[in-house]
Amino acid sequence: MLPFSHLSRRTFLKGAAVTGSGLILPNWGGLAHAKSATEAAVKAKKRCILLWMNGGASQIDTFDMKSGRPTGGPFRPIKSKVAGLDVCEYLPKIADVADKLAVIRSMKTQSPDHPDGIYHMHTCYKMSERTPHPELGAVIAKFNGNPDADLPSFIRMGSTGKGGAGYLGPAYEPFGASQDGRLGSFATPYLADADEKKRADLFRFVEGEFAVDHKAEPFDSHRTAKERAWRLLRAKALFDTSKEWLKAKDRYGDTVFGRGCFMARKLVESGVPFVEVGQENYDSHADNFVVHKANMQVLDPAWSSLLADLEASGQLQDTLVIWMGEVGRTPGINNRAGRDHYIRAWTIVLAGGGIKGGQVYGSTDADGKDVKENPVTEGDLFSTIYATLGINHRAKHYYGVRPIWLTPEGSQPVKELL
Amino acid sequence: MTDLSKPFQACNLVWDADWVTAVTFLGSHRRVAAGNNLGQILLWDLPEKLGGDAPKPVARLDGHTNVISRLASTSDGKTLISASYDHTIRYWDVPAKLPAPTEPLVLNASAIEDATRRKANGAKVPPSMDAKVGLLKSVRTLTEHKEWVVGMELSRDGQSLISGDDGGQVIVWDRDAAKVRKRWQVKGWAYAVALSPDRSQACVSERRPLVFDSGRHAAVQLWDATTGEMKTNLSDMKEFKGHYMCSAAYSPDGKLLAVGRGGECDGTNGKVTLLDPATGKVVKELAPGHLSGLTDLAFHPDGKYLASSGRDTVVRIWDVQSGKVVSELGKARGGQFKDWICALNWSGDGAWLAAADMAGAVQVWSFGV
Repeated sequence: MLPFSHLSRRTFLKGAAVTGSGLILPNWGGLAHAKSATEAAVKAKKRCILLWMNGGASQIDTFDMKSGRPTGGPFRPIKSKVAGLDVCEYLPKIADVADKLAVIRSMKTQSPDHPDGIYHMHTCYKMSERTPHPELGAVIAKFNGNPDADLPSFIRMGSTGKGGAGYLGPAYEPFGASQDGRLGSFATPYLADADEKKRADLFRFVEGEFAVDHKAEPFDSHRTAKERAWRLLRAKALFDTSKEWLKAKDRYGDTVFGRGCFMARKLVESGVPFVEVGQENYDSHADNFVVHKANMQVLDPAWSSLLADLEASGQLQDTLVIWMGEVGRTPGINNRAGRDHYIRAWTIVLAGGGIKGGQVYGSTDADGKDVKENPVTEGDLFSTIYATLGINHRAKHYYGVRPIWLTPEGSQPVKELL
Repeated sequence: MTDLSKPFQACNLVWDADWVTAVTFLGSHRRVAAGNNLGQILLWDLPEKLGGDAPKPVARLDGHTNVISRLASTSDGKTLISASYDHTIRYWDVPAKLPAPTEPLVLNASAIEDATRRKANGAKVPPSMDAKVGLLKSVRTLTEHKEWVVGMELSRDGQSLISGDDGGQVIVWDRDAAKVRKRWQVKGWAYAVALSPDRSQACVSERRPLVFDSGRHAAVQLWDATTGEMKTNLSDMKEFKGHYMCSAAYSPDGKLLAVGRGGECDGTNGKVTLLDPATGKVVKELAPGHLSGLTDLAFHPDGKYLASSGRDTVVRIWDVQSGKVVSELGKARGGQFKDWICALNWSGDGAWLAAADMAGAVQVWSFGV
């Protein structure tokens, strides 16, 4: 039997475009049952902000503290608003909004290093697979984005994922703003408005003529990218937060990450379905405690203000905010005062978007070395995220003729969080 | 006459409860105090002539609840002062005759626990190193700091104390009255603090250890310790620019200031820079630096020598005049995963040197004559 002989002809044609010469072209993830799912999700208008802790934050020094144990380190826990959810003393503002947080203390994942971990925790698939899986942001852009919007539907800032849209194709590739959310100099046209318009019209005419005889996807992608760029220019004033930031910087912290979080809020409130903001510095193989202490003092005001502002504007229930990195960090403290990568038992935090806040899901043993109950895989996490956002976590796409699902087989949303 | 070029390790005081992070001799006595990551402090009395088994601790000082960052003693050895990540500085009266030993202590408890866990794989459980210690309680607790107290030094005459914390607070204290004489705020986290022998000048280094972020901050400045005014900013000098300087020490005559570069995320240049504190000009750079960063500095009581310790597990003794290494104590354990010598201190007579070893011990060094 051929590998895809179970496919009907109709399904096969949905999944691939065949050229005259018989070459199968990718159809950028043509959906098997796209229409109803997309309509439902867009209607829900849920959005997502991913706060990406690049390098991997330490769970024991943040949300799964082991004070008094050999693995505990010098940070002390403080009480949060939620019984049973003590957090690090350097996250006091987060402690005040803990009723919004769902802390998953039982992540048990598979990719221990940075490149594979970053890919895995952005796609929920291993990097070693040959299929180019789309990042979380591309999936959300496809299902929950407005294709007619001037703003990009997948925006990222700072050190974030690198996988891009994968099999979903160039329409869902990320748009990169600077670390603090500002547009680069490329967003300033070097022609006057009238001349720029003439230039664009000429481009469209030439491309249109060219397209008559050149139907392949790459040419269409080029045209799409140009059109998206022009549309972005119409909305670029949104990226200028210089006046608003003066009022906000004391709350968010006058840091690039703080400003990135502020911009993320503004973007999702303007309809962008997915924004990722990266915070650097977490890969603390040496001097873990001073590094984390410095990082948390940047993170705490930015993240807590983001949640507070989203709630104040009524957007939090429709905006999922994820806090995670590619790995956790070892319970054991090495003799460079550091913690290394760890994937057997670590922590991710979700808030908003319909997630039930004020809870801890899963637990680890006394020293934080193993998951004690309710292990959560990458697939389970992504299933939960997609379910929260109204996206079918088992939605099927095609890469060429190969069927692919958004999450690996066996993945299930964590019902207790929804 | 002590010959610093002929070091030998007199004893190794095992205490593996956690990393040993701070150490000091008490006055000119053969009494050593050390603190660890858990906030514990132990005292040892060293015999005049060492040989045979290492002496065991004689007292435990209970009170701190987090890392002991610095220890200092008055010149008469009667008062020990400790700084901690628990935000406090504590004073301890240490009598010549210590309380009777009542508290049992296993000095190698971690090694026993570790070997027991690995017994199935053939690990041999070492015999227990038992000790019994008397207890001392602190007599005074200074609570002005609201953050980890990472830097602390007693002035040479014992009248003033300077301390600095991770919130950027620098405080100069009247030591006897335990009152704040002057305090000021620096932009970053205070890191190394030192007071000149005449108590007029303070050196404060700062850090904010963000690796890639624009909020990263490093500074070294000389302050008027009586007014809290910044007098000389050394931060832009090539020796200091962008680097975290983790230790500073004035020579006994006050004519030299030694500043050492720490190792937080910044590679292998744990050098010592000698400055003229009156002008802020560099007098000499002591090289080679400690691999992976320096941890502590201490001038010999005669002022002609300087000891430096590092993350490379060695202590170097430098001839200040020539800038050359006189001797190197210990060997670099090497590799990525090694231990540090966290701190060091000279005995009052300059004949002994104690080093706090992260591996769980206090190394006591003596020198040939």
